[in-house]
Amino acid sequence: MSTSQLALLILIFPAAGAVLLAGRGWRLPRIVTKLVGPGVVWASFVVTLTLFFNNASGDFTYWTWIQSGSFNVPFNILIDNLSIFMCIVITGVGGLIVTYAVGYMDKEDGPSYARFFTYMDIFVFSMLLLVLAGNFIFLIIGWALVGLSSYFLIGFWYHRRSAVLAARKAFVMNVIGDVGMILGTFVLFVTYHATTYAKVFLAVGHCRLPQEALCLVANPDSASLELAAFLLLVGAIAKSAQIPLHTWLPDAMEGPTPVSALIHAATMVTAGVYLVGRMHPIYDVAVYAHAAVAIVGAVTALFAATIAIVQTDIKRVLAYSTMSQIGYMFLAVGIGAYSAGFFHLLSHAFFKALLFMAAGNVIHAMNDEQDMRKYGGLLKQLPRTSWSFLIGSLSLVGVIPFVGFFSKEQILGAAFSKPDASLALAVWAFGFITALVTGFYTGRMWWMSFAGKPSPDRPVEHPHEAPSVMLIPVFILAALATIGGFIQTRALGFGPHLVDDFLKSTVGAQSWEGGASEVIASLVTMALAAILFLAAYRIYIQHAWKPWSAVVPWAQRLLERKYYFDELYDAIFVRPMDALANGGLRYVEDPIIGGLVSGTGELAQAESHNLSLTETGYFRNYVLVFVAGAVVVAILILARAGS
Amino acid sequence: MSGFNAGGSQLDTSWFLLLAAVLFILGTVGVLVRRNPLIILICIELMLNAANLTLVAFSRQLQNLDGQLFALMSMTVAAAEAVVGLAILVDIFRHRDAEDIDDLSELKG
Repeated sequence: MSTSQLALLILIFPAAGAVLLAGRGWRLPRIVTKLVGPGVVWASFVVTLTLFFNNASGDFTYWTWIQSGSFNVPFNILIDNLSIFMCIVITGVGGLIVTYAVGYMDKEDGPSYARFFTYMDIFVFSMLLLVLAGNFIFLIIGWALVGLSSYFLIGFWYHRRSAVLAARKAFVMNVIGDVGMILGTFVLFVTYHATTYAKVFLAVGHCRLPQEALCLVANPDSASLELAAFLLLVGAIAKSAQIPLHTWLPDAMEGPTPVSALIHAATMVTAGVYLVGRMHPIYDVAVYAHAAVAIVGAVTALFAATIAIVQTDIKRVLAYSTMSQIGYMFLAVGIGAYSAGFFHLLSHAFFKALLFMAAGNVIHAMNDEQDMRKYGGLLKQLPRTSWSFLIGSLSLVGVIPFVGFFSKEQILGAAFSKPDASLALAVWAFGFITALVTGFYTGRMWWMSFAGKPSPDRPVEHPHEAPSVMLIPVFILAALATIGGFIQTRALGFGPHLVDDFLKSTVGAQSWEGGASEVIASLVTMALAAILFLAAYRIYIQHAWKPWSAVVPWAQRLLERKYYFDELYDAIFVRPMDALANGGLRYVEDPIIGGLVSGTGELAQAESHNLSLTETGYFRNYVLVFVAGAVVVAILILARAGS
Repeated sequence: MSGFNAGGSQLDTSWFLLLAAVLFILGTVGVLVRRNPLIILICIELMLNAANLTLVAFSRQLQNLDGQLFALMSMTVAAAEAVVGLAILVDIFRHRDAEDIDDLSELKG
């Protein structure tokens, strides 16, 4: 098969799976759902690997979707190293997670079970469309479909009010981002009259050259590029749960745990990073928007990490940790270290999916209890899950030789060593502090859950390990998180750098090289983070040291309220809107609009009653009217004839 | 002047019209004030015949047979109307005990 057909096949598999499960899934035997749900994702993974090993690339146009004047939208798929990279992450890690879900969701009844895998396959399809799209219109379609399937999955347990509210919140936040994306696309279309990446980037790229004659359009001012880049950034921020559109992600943990692993850790939330990477020709020119990417990432990284310190729900800790890690990726692509950002995306997909699925095993064993304070001492009872979780945790902290060390330290090293860039140094400082905080909250999470004595409130006295369909994906990811870092050991200053080489053709090589100081800085960061990881043991298990919250109780309160962001948005947007709506109901809708509508009806009714009084039912009255009319007509005719 | 009134009177047409008008008004008032349905039907016949009289009068005045023909036509219609009207009346009185036309006033508002 040709490359273009294979590329289409990647999309067709999950779409076909979703259609089959949506239409017939609940009537077919359960085993069909178990096979089809993950099977189609694995099929896409195999096709992706074929493309990967064939070094496939190209921009394939299948048909023209819209043709209206100069507005031309083809359906084209862009196969290059970046989209193949993303497809490997989505279908590979996604396949493991959907397989895991076969076990995790086993409690659901038949229709719900099929519904869950329908949603999962829709999500995988949307995400693949997002990364494979070769033009802005299909990018937006994928982008919006991803938001929609996320809504479905967060609200999967629709009988729980909190889940429905969380789904709605996520959807609204995502739509804010979609609007940003659409407006950004408008700006680009107005400026360049093109919707495909190829044409837009060609126009942007040519105009960077000194010979202005090569420009496809006359004098594209950089202001409109900046505007487009900022608007696209709004979309990226909303999808990736960065400040200030981040509040939906912690609430999204209401969804089933495989959903959190797939959507809110490994794939969907990294779409923003993908977007900035894909749009790098624009961001390379739009320097202010590019700096904003780095600043948003750095601030979110630290902000989210500090909140994670005080969370007690294990999935919420992981949610804030995800925000923080994606902040790192934004930071990386924001300073121009694109491939470092994408390496962290890959490594984060490994260890965060691992952490979520291991947490899912714990939650499963604890009868859906998510409060870490009610765990304790699980290491002996759930050894496999505990050790896997430890691998993920150490990877998150960034301890050598786990994958997180290499990816995170490469980002920090790139920021540290970027020449003549005070911004890079500033975001490095944020990243450095975040790394330390990460060490602490990860330590707190692991020690509280698995070490020490069992909590007296524990719901299950003798928990059992999960079935092997839930353990094997965890083990595979644990193995990947352990050895995956060795594909790129740039953080140490030597060794292979396969990811950088692979992505060089798409996002360009990093324009600067680090030195020895970068390596020393990364080792120091790791050591300090590891010490804080151990310090958490002293505080939360041995109670040897006074907890920090006893020293600064106001800070504890501030963090527990998540910096009052929800309250702030409630006060600024939600309550004024409610008040406006209520006021409109009371003062406009009821008296004016309602009055007009029902008033018309009442008036017609009253008047028709009056009119009906003329219907006496007496024959002679009717005849009288008839005769009178005839007389009047006769008089009129006579009057006209006489005049 | 020849033809129809060759051997007849020289009465002016306006007299015929006057008689027709009187008959027509009598019929109209009869329809309006009488309650007996049969009388009402007869009054309607009276109005029709007033109209016929005008047709014939003008036919004589204009030396044209069209008016007389039309009067024949209208007599036919009147006969048919009387049949239909009487049939309805018979049917009504067969089904219910109505003394006069004012008892048939169900269709009031």
